[in-house]
Amino acid sequence: MAAMIDVQGLSKSYGSKLGITDVSFQVEEGDVFGFLGPNGAGKTTTIRLLMALLHADRGTARIAGLDCWEKSVEIKRLIGYMPGEPALDPNLTGGQILEYFAHLRGGVDQAYLKQLTERFELDTSRKFRQYSTGNKRKVVLIQAFMHRPRLLILDEPTSGLDPLNQQEFDRMVLEARNEGRTVFLSSHVLSEVEKTCTTVGIIRDGSLVRIGDVAEVKAIKRYEVTITFANAVPAETFKTVDGVIEVETLNHGHGVRLTMQGPADAVIKAAAHYPVVSLTSYEPSLEDIFLRYYEADGPRATEAHHVP
Amino acid sequence: MCLSSVFLKTVRDYRIPILGWGIGMGLVVVSPMASVATLLTTPEARAQLASLAATFAWNADPVAVTTIGGYATFKIGIFIFLIIVWPILAGSRTLRGEEERGSLDVLLSVPRPRLRVALEKLAGMWTALLAMGLLIGLVAFGGGQMFGADFGLGDALLFGLDLALICAVFGGLSLLISQFTQERGPAAGATAGLLLVFIVLDMVHRVAPGSEWISRLSPIYYYNLSKALVPSYGVNGGGMLLLLVLAVGLAGAAVWLFVRRDVGGTVPLPRWLRLPERPASRALPVGDWSLRSVYARSLRMVAMPTFWWTLGIAGFAGWMVSAVQLLEAKMSSLLSGSGAAATVIKNLGGGDAGLTAGFLSAMFVFLPLFLMAFAVTQVNHWSADEQDGRLELVLTTPQPRLSVLLGRFAALASATIAISVVTLLVCAWVAVASGLHLDSGNLAAAILGMIPLGLLVAAFGYLASGWLRTAADTGLLSFLLAAWFFISFIGPELKLPDATLRLSPFYYYGTPLLHGLQFTSVLGVIAVAAVALGLGAFRFMRKDIGV
Repeated sequence: MAAMIDVQGLSKSYGSKLGITDVSFQVEEGDVFGFLGPNGAGKTTTIRLLMALLHADRGTARIAGLDCWEKSVEIKRLIGYMPGEPALDPNLTGGQILEYFAHLRGGVDQAYLKQLTERFELDTSRKFRQYSTGNKRKVVLIQAFMHRPRLLILDEPTSGLDPLNQQEFDRMVLEARNEGRTVFLSSHVLSEVEKTCTTVGIIRDGSLVRIGDVAEVKAIKRYEVTITFANAVPAETFKTVDGVIEVETLNHGHGVRLTMQGPADAVIKAAAHYPVVSLTSYEPSLEDIFLRYYEADGPRATEAHHVP
Repeated sequence: MCLSSVFLKTVRDYRIPILGWGIGMGLVVVSPMASVATLLTTPEARAQLASLAATFAWNADPVAVTTIGGYATFKIGIFIFLIIVWPILAGSRTLRGEEERGSLDVLLSVPRPRLRVALEKLAGMWTALLAMGLLIGLVAFGGGQMFGADFGLGDALLFGLDLALICAVFGGLSLLISQFTQERGPAAGATAGLLLVFIVLDMVHRVAPGSEWISRLSPIYYYNLSKALVPSYGVNGGGMLLLLVLAVGLAGAAVWLFVRRDVGGTVPLPRWLRLPERPASRALPVGDWSLRSVYARSLRMVAMPTFWWTLGIAGFAGWMVSAVQLLEAKMSSLLSGSGAAATVIKNLGGGDAGLTAGFLSAMFVFLPLFLMAFAVTQVNHWSADEQDGRLELVLTTPQPRLSVLLGRFAALASATIAISVVTLLVCAWVAVASGLHLDSGNLAAAILGMIPLGLLVAAFGYLASGWLRTAADTGLLSFLLAAWFFISFIGPELKLPDATLRLSPFYYYGTPLLHGLQFTSVLGVIAVAAVALGLGAFRFMRKDIGV
């Protein structure tokens, strides 16, 4: 099957500022691709290059076999796009915005559009400037889905949505996948990508550092568990426990901070031998993961690591 | 350094308007100085000028109009609304504009009292107004020196101070009204409406004897009490003090209300003044014509500004047509007594044809200027839409970039045509109603001939927006407009070479009310506009958006 998105050696800089460097990846049709990276890594630059809002310095980007810059109008017929920071005419109501973009896209199924506004419980009579951040995101999200595009390009789509609407969004992505449509979404939240995506690419400092199946990327996910005890406990107790990567002693032995990977069952059982005062688990941010995993001489390199 | 306090940051934000508005308005003050210098060659001409000014006394006090400073003060009367536009916009933006953008939330989250933040912003606005007043005073002084005026630097600076004070009054009023509105636009609009009311109130006592008490209700009245450019008249300390008190009072009330209300909210109005709340709805405006294309949407966006500008331009043109016959006798004497005066009228767009048409032609040169100013405001919107990211989603729909740009430009072109056609109809109707005979072909040429000039400015603006940010683009166009006006209407007096005069589009507009349009010139303007638009479109099609 031909790749829906095919990016080869794509580079873009903003004068002296770094954009992206030599980024290459492919997204198969029907795939849900998560584009992960910390803030400023180059996610939005890549997306804006795909949307022909920016002109690449080097390399090519193709969607459905068409060059993104040269055939931008044809490509945009296939795409539903949600920007990371939506800016729209503040004087238009949500309903007017949706109708306007429906016309610019050559018309949409009004019944489906109405269904979407009901799914997200959007009050379409309010002006865009009067919407809360979450409702602004809803308007832009609906306009991305309303014409049932073959490809959805979504830049941090759930940012600003409440948990209920995030769930609704997850369902819509699942529906799109079931209908064989392709989804390309960027995020800096690993757990969000885990839920919805089949394939993941990780970008850092403008370079793609890893790409592969979402299960493989989970392997880099670590978390921290902090346990406070009533008495001092030797740190060695936890060093050999399954899943523990690193142990740090806290408060003169009255506590430990464990860096973990995988199930916590063995740690819980080991801790149960001592009087536990409290136990907290913390999922580090992607930034933290990158800082640890992709240290200066770590696997970060010019070429992405392709996981089979 | 410039970002070390709210005050300095505010002043920094105003640096371009300070320079642009200060120098631009200074040139507006200097323009009449150049013309009057040539009008005052004989005692007869002086007498006739005084008599002519008396005819316009409803507009401004004709005090010492036969002096350069007096004539400039008299002529500025009609432009006072233009000078006050900026403080009205600045006042509405100072707090409400930042609330709309959400930037005030962050600013007020720092450990600094809300009162202090508001006062620093207010101080920033007042500093900007003082700096503008200073620049206007300095430019007026320079102009006065150039044309041999009898006022000194101190007088010119006092003139600038008087202007700064009236600007501060309306800036304060705008700031106060913005405490009651959810958005800055209605606050600015309401203040502009009040400005017009105050201008009319100020005029009342000049046309209806014994009605001075009515005019005293207007701040403009107290501004007009001072005529610093007329040394024999001087300034009215009481009037200036009252303006200061008004400015402080209005701004103080605004700040007092601001520190007591919700950020992002408004001062609660009585129940009977509140708009009824709209029920939530999921209905979609399926039949709305303005949402069908970029052009239709752009047309809807430009509709309201077009209405107001049409009102102003057509109103001005209609009023000139209706008033010109009343002035004919006085103009006749003035022109026969002064050869230099005839030259000035010719510079302004008149000539040696019929006197009425000649004077009208001289007044009609302001019409393309106003239309070009309208184009500048619309280019500003285009540039701001791109800069603020509002074009991004439109450009991710299957609309070619060229179509988006041309859709916006076509809407602007439609608006300029609409303004011109309405102005033509109004002038034709007024001419018929007042029994004034005008060559209908030339009248049409004079009014419709300004369309290419409006489009030229728009095309230059679209071209420049390919590289410049909004403030710089608008500033460049405003500067060009002021420079062209200066070249065409003061340049001949300064004996500027013909090659320089040809740099101004007004040169190609000519005197169409008298001689019809020079079609080669018009075609030349259209060709330059087309090339500029083509280059602008080429640039827009290739540039990075939102960078």
